[in-house]
Amino acid sequence: MSALPVIRIKPLTWAPYLPPVEIAEASRTQLEAMKVTPSSTGVSPYVRTLAHDPESYVARTQLFNAILYAEGGLPRADRELAALAASLANGCQYCANVHARKHVRLSGSGRVVSALWAGRRDALTDRERAIVDFAEALAAMPARVTPKRVRALREAGLGDAELVDLVHAVAIFGWANRLMHPLGHSHSTARGEAA
Amino acid sequence: MLLRPSRPDIVDRAAGLTDGGTGLGLRTHRPEIVSGVEACRLSVLAPEDDLGLSRGFRAAVARRVALHSEHATLISEYPASEEPGLREVSHGGMPDDPRLAAVAAHVDMISREPARASRAALQALLDVGMSPAQIVALSELVAFVCFQVQVVEGLAAVNGAR
Repeated sequence: MSALPVIRIKPLTWAPYLPPVEIAEASRTQLEAMKVTPSSTGVSPYVRTLAHDPESYVARTQLFNAILYAEGGLPRADRELAALAASLANGCQYCANVHARKHVRLSGSGRVVSALWAGRRDALTDRERAIVDFAEALAAMPARVTPKRVRALREAGLGDAELVDLVHAVAIFGWANRLMHPLGHSHSTARGEAA
Repeated sequence: MLLRPSRPDIVDRAAGLTDGGTGLGLRTHRPEIVSGVEACRLSVLAPEDDLGLSRGFRAAVARRVALHSEHATLISEYPASEEPGLREVSHGGMPDDPRLAAVAAHVDMISREPARASRAALQALLDVGMSPAQIVALSELVAFVCFQVQVVEGLAAVNGAR
């Protein structure tokens, strides 16, 4: 196989299509959801857009954190790989960008991201390919998951607990991608900006 | 919000984890996710402040999204609406009311082909009188059901391939 091109992923900036909640005009529930006081600045446009519906924002954010950051089970880097593969399948460039960079940080290598960006599945390990294939199949509506896909994951060493974590990681991006992409657009940033 | 998970829940039933065996044990290592999914379900289907989108409307939209999953057991968890207009929404048809028709078209696109979303698609919702808050609430509801579909399909596959 030919050498894999090294691809550097630069951060993107996201901007909403809808007017976000203005901190000065926010209700108490909205402020509480955003965890801010009226004097706070720096709450992201994404958070201020979703704060229009503070109840779902709070519930989803807690679930998102439980799925991506809970200890044990599927390694963090694999959860980011699932997030990345789901985001690519769902067409959310911004989320794919954020989670590609997180995967590079957590895995200590840009190989997987470079392989996905270059369409070079041959440069993935069996385990990585099994995770990406499963994520794509599950992200489709209707889903296309087959027993063969699950067997490939088990053969790569994933047990029940890891598989359940993987399902949740893919699914929560079936949710997050359907907010981030439909509700706004992203563009490249001149200088680095934390996602 | 901390909920005590009451199981089997919708996810357990729809994924067939209740059919004997060890299916129900699959998620026990993640109780905060089990309760978190239920808290999310309530936040989109039965919120304290509905932002002008009734429970009947939300249930009809949720069923419409579930129809795209073609997952009979999950669909059966969402009863169809008998209200004029909402009946078509909940059955996957096209309502005559322009506001409900715009909602139905948006729900179908976001469920099946989220990559096709655009500024124009949101403008179509604003044009029929939906507020930004209602558009955000609708977006969360649709995306939640898509999430729930994937959890159910994924857990069923994991449980089936043991």
